[in-house]
Amino acid sequence: MGESGVRNLERRYRTLLKVLPKWYRRDREEEMVGIFLAERNDDLDLEHSWPGWGETFAVLGLAVRTHLAAGAALTGVPGKVVWRGEVVRALGMIGLLLGLFYGVAAIVNLAVAYGNPAFAPGITWWWLLELGPIVAFAALLSGRRTLAKIAAAAPVVLALGSLGQPQYMLLWGVFQLPSIVTFVCLCLGFHREAPTPPVRRLVWWGGGAMVLGLLGGFATGAGLLAVGLITVIVRVVAFVRGDVVLGRAVSLFAVLQLVPLVFLVVAGSEILVPAAGLALLLVLTAVAPVRRPSAQGFRV
Amino acid sequence: MSEQTFLVLTALAEEPLHGYAIVQAVEQLSEGRMVLRVGTLYGVLDRLVSDGLAERDREEVHQGRLRRYYKLTDSGVRALQAEVARLSANVRAASAVLRGRGVQPWASRA
Repeated sequence: MGESGVRNLERRYRTLLKVLPKWYRRDREEEMVGIFLAERNDDLDLEHSWPGWGETFAVLGLAVRTHLAAGAALTGVPGKVVWRGEVVRALGMIGLLLGLFYGVAAIVNLAVAYGNPAFAPGITWWWLLELGPIVAFAALLSGRRTLAKIAAAAPVVLALGSLGQPQYMLLWGVFQLPSIVTFVCLCLGFHREAPTPPVRRLVWWGGGAMVLGLLGGFATGAGLLAVGLITVIVRVVAFVRGDVVLGRAVSLFAVLQLVPLVFLVVAGSEILVPAAGLALLLVLTAVAPVRRPSAQGFRV
Repeated sequence: MSEQTFLVLTALAEEPLHGYAIVQAVEQLSEGRMVLRVGTLYGVLDRLVSDGLAERDREEVHQGRLRRYYKLTDSGVRALQAEVARLSANVRAASAVLRGRGVQPWASRA
């Protein structure tokens, strides 16, 4: 036994509980340790046992649900962390909207290429994975979260196909960053306690993204610029409406887009001037304040 | 309502219980099928408390450890009642179908 009288097993459980937010632990740690150690009186057990895998995974799940709390699912959540979960969910949704845009653009490009014998041989069944975000969006709105997460992993899987060629690794990482972040945000943000997103409003947003994808599919090369410009516009709208959650999510999204854009600028792409201009706008988008100083409270 | 939530509500319907007693009660009620992990138990309890179906009761110190009791609220009792009605209706419907096939609805367990 240690000098403080705390046994190894208890110390290990307390270490595990450190994955929970501080405000949650302050209230619950003693109670939880009491349950972990209930009826465990054997000296050998108390000195040499470790928390089991099942307990560990359950605590990790609780950590995700408390760190990214859904507004109504917990009482006693400090105000300054309430928005964190909402921002992660909003970022996941924005990523899916981007996926809708690219998915529809890919369909248009395929339709155009199909009639052209020069491009037709390049089409493989891998192409179907581009539709992942469309499936994920529909699944999420209808409350099928697991399906949504699996479908959102599709673009990541698609990109893994290029891993065989190391020279493309950097390019892959740069351009797939939004897909990867979207997938992670969906997995973490839409946990069991999180609310289903507002269907009616998102159908409008999704419809808009698909229409833009339709146009973007025909105007090749302009896709990245169009997405960047829309990001800036949405950010301005969020600021005017005082929507802090949307504002923060769009700021993070702007950072994600900056990465491939900076890559294009450094590589000296043919769209250097508009790309550099847009990069500057995105930097402003990312760092601009999310609400006017005069605004009253948060709209979460 | 998930089976976990249903069993925790059922356990609390009998009397106010502390966390470890809830784990034991749920294991007993489910005849050993469901052993609640601590992380899962607190997920369920947080949800019940924020939905107003359960609330914190007294606190005790047992062998140097804190025990916090939880009890069902009136709306918790009503929620359990509604769930029992829903499940009973399902059971009645399934039993009628099985009887129609000439099968006993309550098969004896091996």
